Parts: sequence; C-alpha cells; structure tokens
Amino acid sequence: MTTLQSRQDIDSAVRPAAPDEESLSRRALTGERAAWDALIARHQRRVVVSLLAKGLRVDRAQELAQETWARLIQQQQRGLLPELRLPALALAQAAFLASDDARRTRRESVDGTVEELPERHQPVDPAQSAEKRLLSEEQLTRARDALEQVSPGARNVFLLACDGQGLPHAEVASRVGLSVQRVRQILCEVRKKLRTALEEENHV
Amino acid sequence: MSSPTPHLTRDRTEQYLLGALPPEAEAELEAHTLTCEPCARLLQEEALLEEQLYEVAAATPRDAVVVRPARWHRPAAVAAALVAVAASVFLMLRPGGETASTPVTPVEAPVVAARDVEDAPRDIVVACPDLGTQEHCLKSASARGLLVYHPGGQGEVPRYDASSGLTQVALSSRPAAL
Repeated sequence: MTTLQSRQDIDSAVRPAAPDEESLSRRALTGERAAWDALIARHQRRVVVSLLAKGLRVDRAQELAQETWARLIQQQQRGLLPELRLPALALAQAAFLASDDARRTRRESVDGTVEELPERHQPVDPAQSAEKRLLSEEQLTRARDALEQVSPGARNVFLLACDGQGLPHAEVASRVGLSVQRVRQILCEVRKKLRTALEEENHV
Repeated sequence: MSSPTPHLTRDRTEQYLLGALPPEAEAELEAHTLTCEPCARLLQEEALLEEQLYEVAAATPRDAVVVRPARWHRPAAVAAALVAVAASVFLMLRPGGETASTPVTPVEAPVVAARDVEDAPRDIVVACPDLGTQEHCLKSASARGLLVYHPGGQGEVPRYDASSGLTQVALSSRPAAL
C-alpha cells in the first residue's frame, strides 16, 4: 500500500517536469521562447556533432549551430514553418549552412573578397539530407548483424537513444529504468561493437 | 611544448560526444582540438561514427527490438507456435476484423498471448514489450481493438479498459507469455 502510494507520488512529480517533444514543438511553433530554449538544449549536441562530422572545427561548428537555431526561429516568426520536426529540420538547416560556409570560403580564396550570398528564407527540406547516406549497404548489413549480437536490453537502449528523435539520455534512462551512467556505458559498448563491424568492412 | 592540454583519447572523445563530460573538461577538450590537428581529426572521426550510428539505428527494423512469438498479419507463418496460432486465428475470425488483412506490422511488435486457450478465447491480451515502446504499442493495439497488458503494473491498466470492456479483475492474471 505504502509502496504504491510512493510510486504514484514519484510519477506525478516527474511527469510535468519533462514535457514531451510534441508539446514543445507545438509551443515553439506559436513562438514561445521557453519552448525553443528547451528544444535547443535538447538537440544542440546532435547538431554540433553533425557539423563536426563534416570536418568543421569545434568553434565554427558551435557558431553554425547557433546560426541554425537563429534561422529556424526567424522562419517560425515569418510563418514559414508549417511544422517542426526536430532534430531532422535543424540537421538539414545546419548542413545547408555548412555547405554555404564551404562555398563562401572557396570563393573567398579565389578572388580574395567575401561575397554575400543571397539570404535564403525558405525552410530547408529535411527529406533531402535524410536521403544522403553515409554508409554503404554492406556496411549497414554488417552493422545490423553486429546489433543482433547485442543483448536485447542494450539494443533497446541504443535504438531509443539513436532513433532520430533526439531523446535525452536522462529520458532514455527513465524509460528503461536504468541510471544515466549505465545508459551511457551501454551506448559506449554498443558503439565499440558497431565500430568494429563498420571498420571490418572498410578493410575487406 | 606542443600544447598545454592533454591529447584526446578515444574514450574521452566518446564521453564528450555523449555529453558525459563536465563543462570544464568539455571546454578544455574543445580548446585542445583547435590547436592540435591530429586530435581535431580524431574528433571528426568519432563524430562521423556517431552520425553513422544514427543511420544504423534508423535503418534497423524495430521488429528486432522485441521477441515476437506471433505475427498477427501472417498467421500461416506461425503454425508452429500453438498459442500464437490460437491468437492469430481468432484475430482473423474476429467480426469486423479488418485488422487481420492489414499488411502493416506494428513497429514495436508486441507479444501476443491468448488467455484461456482451453475455453473459447474471448480476448487477446497484448503485452507491450517495455515502457519505451509502450505508447506506440498501445496505439496499434487499440486500433485493432485488442486488450493491452501493461508491464509497468496494474496501476496503469484502467487507461486501456475503454477499448476492451474488461474489468481490472479480468486483467489481474498475467498472460502466458510473461
């Protein structure tokens, strides 16, 4: 009886603290600043990492990530955002800014002047960058096989954390009933296995 | 003196990408990669791997997440499992059961078990695999008019009663699959 009571207490205490992505997105689309801040905090790392993967320096990656959010908020204020699907939209916007950046530096090195590119106001199509693949079909198969070897629990943690919704580790942890440290430990283990699987492919 | 801060290790870079480092350590690592070319490359490699992992996760069919003794959309394929067959056949014969012909597999396919197999099965209890996938499982199950057994405990069960008409007492026995 008492345990049930305390569990209900915890539940009601935890739930309102973590508003879900959907309601955050809805509020952000109405221009609520706090909702934007929460979304940015949630997805910032993923955006920066995607820029780092493109070979940007950390400082530049962070600048472009800031710029990404600024553009998205701007688009929202102009009523150009019909829906907000994060992190896909932010990743697409960041990728666009990164290639824009690269183009600009190239041009700069050619004739020594920085040319202002026409400002793009249209939201970027997130489907476009989603199409782009980093891995070959064989690598994917190999990685999937490796994932089969992982214990179901660990696989579940990995899929939850990396399912493209940008679920924070704390939330993953509470969903599977583990500590955040354990979740990260699991993610590192899975990552090592998959790294071997992906690299193996490179060798052959 | 090449650089005052230590070089990056793989472990530390992973921790950084996971966001597990304290802010000062994070800042130190970032500052280091700005002056140290090999470490910047290591960071890029690891970031790339991180992106690849997202791609792997996106390409992984969710069916692989849970053990699934029955396929509700292809009853013929599960002839071996008796319980599963009972469940599937019932699903097909269900009046107004447009569900049986739907080719869509639930993304997080739940475990299906028939209650009271020896009697005429009155309801199929769907056990959602875990709390993480429960929401989707719930939706796809209630779309099929199935009853959901909640792994988190009885406390949450009344939420699902509307779709089944079963009382909480009827739910207190665990389905065979669990």
